[in-house]
Amino acid sequence: MTSESGYRAAPADSDAGARVVRLAFYGLLAIVLMTLDYRGHHAQKMRTAAWRAAEPLFLVVELPFDLGRRLGEQLRSHHGLMQQIRALESERIASQARLALLAELQDDNHELRTLLGAAQRISLTFRTAELMNLGLNPWSHRVLVNRGRSDGVRTGQPVMDARGVMGQVDETGFNTAQVILISDPDHALPVRVQRTGLRTVAYGTGHIDRLQLNDLPMNVDLEPGDRLLTSGLDDVFPAGLPVAEVQSLERPTGEAFARAELRPLARLDRARHVLIVEVPEQPQPLSREDDSGAAGPEKSADDSADGGSEDLEGET
Amino acid sequence: MRPRTGTPVTLAASMVAVLLLTLMPLPGGVVEMRPYWAALVLIYWNLEAGRLRHLGQAFAGGLVLDVLTGTLLGQQALGLVIISYLVERFRLRIRFFPPLQQAGVVMLLLFNDRIVQLWVVGLVGDRWPSWQWWTAPLLGMLLWPWVFLALDALRQRERRSRT
Repeated sequence: MTSESGYRAAPADSDAGARVVRLAFYGLLAIVLMTLDYRGHHAQKMRTAAWRAAEPLFLVVELPFDLGRRLGEQLRSHHGLMQQIRALESERIASQARLALLAELQDDNHELRTLLGAAQRISLTFRTAELMNLGLNPWSHRVLVNRGRSDGVRTGQPVMDARGVMGQVDETGFNTAQVILISDPDHALPVRVQRTGLRTVAYGTGHIDRLQLNDLPMNVDLEPGDRLLTSGLDDVFPAGLPVAEVQSLERPTGEAFARAELRPLARLDRARHVLIVEVPEQPQPLSREDDSGAAGPEKSADDSADGGSEDLEGET
Repeated sequence: MRPRTGTPVTLAASMVAVLLLTLMPLPGGVVEMRPYWAALVLIYWNLEAGRLRHLGQAFAGGLVLDVLTGTLLGQQALGLVIISYLVERFRLRIRFFPPLQQAGVVMLLLFNDRIVQLWVVGLVGDRWPSWQWWTAPLLGMLLWPWVFLALDALRQRERRSRT
């Protein structure tokens, strides 16, 4: 048993010199690990394995809190529930009316695209999932959802809430999955400005309520209030999902690029129900893209944003 | 001479408790004030029971926490190794401090850990932590006597039931 041997070996530890050497050794080891994890995604495989092994623990910790929440729902008053049902019903009718209009637009769009010989827009299907209660490290910009490989969730699938893109699946366990949010400083998302069609990349800032555009030309036509959609250049996110709204634009003197601050449309910090987007297989799957998508969200987004723009001019 | 019969049940239970407390969901405003349970328990076992004295054990525990909380791999491992080293270094002195002073030392250790973590956060370029984050060592200090008493009582009971 380790603890027993730990006790017996302890007197040898009191040798101060050896302790310092050991401290230096473990300190270096930790720094090397951090560098590997941060720089190269080399530790990814190990992390995935460890995370899958730890999955039962997550479920066990989650259990009492889930029960508590359910109990709270049980105890909620009949009156409150009826009110909520009425509100939802009216909302449903309104959305259905909008959907009916949309269906017609979709038909129009379909016909026009056929006339133009352009690529068809892929229709999306969703899988609903619920966020788990567990508190991960406040810096990690990751959330856990209660769907995993057993539900067919794969790494790289986009995740959104009712308002916009939230992030993408990063690790999958058997019954849970880890979602990396678009606000993670490592996350880059190719986007398109809805009004002007300008393509650029939105970066996470580490703040849950803010994204950034860093490489806009100085004379860019962008206004606060402009909406940004995914551009679909990364082969991870389908084109046209709402992402964020421009809050402010800044043209710092003496620098090469203008910067813009964005507010994500999805409620990254408050959403409870999320949608995992099923992306149908692309007609021309590039194995390189798949690899980079699995390795890390940033890389895939950057790669295709740099290299893919010419291809798409022809398609749309 | 300390009896060789250990208290493995209490040790294991305290580790499970640390995992639960570390992963436990907290309301949004106080998430960053979560006390560093792992460090508190590690300090206790080292000081009072002479367990978990190896730096390697602290390192392994830190790695487990890193994986579970989605932290950069090695960040908490580094923090716990440094805490373990410092406790071991001043073990004989800290053990015989009066309780209040001991709690003060625990706060200093936790505060020092915050600085180590801040260093990593700064290198990685993450968001700067909010002021709540700095209150965690204070909370740790306030919790220390209770952690100490609770674990001591559990350990005594287990030892008594064995003999």
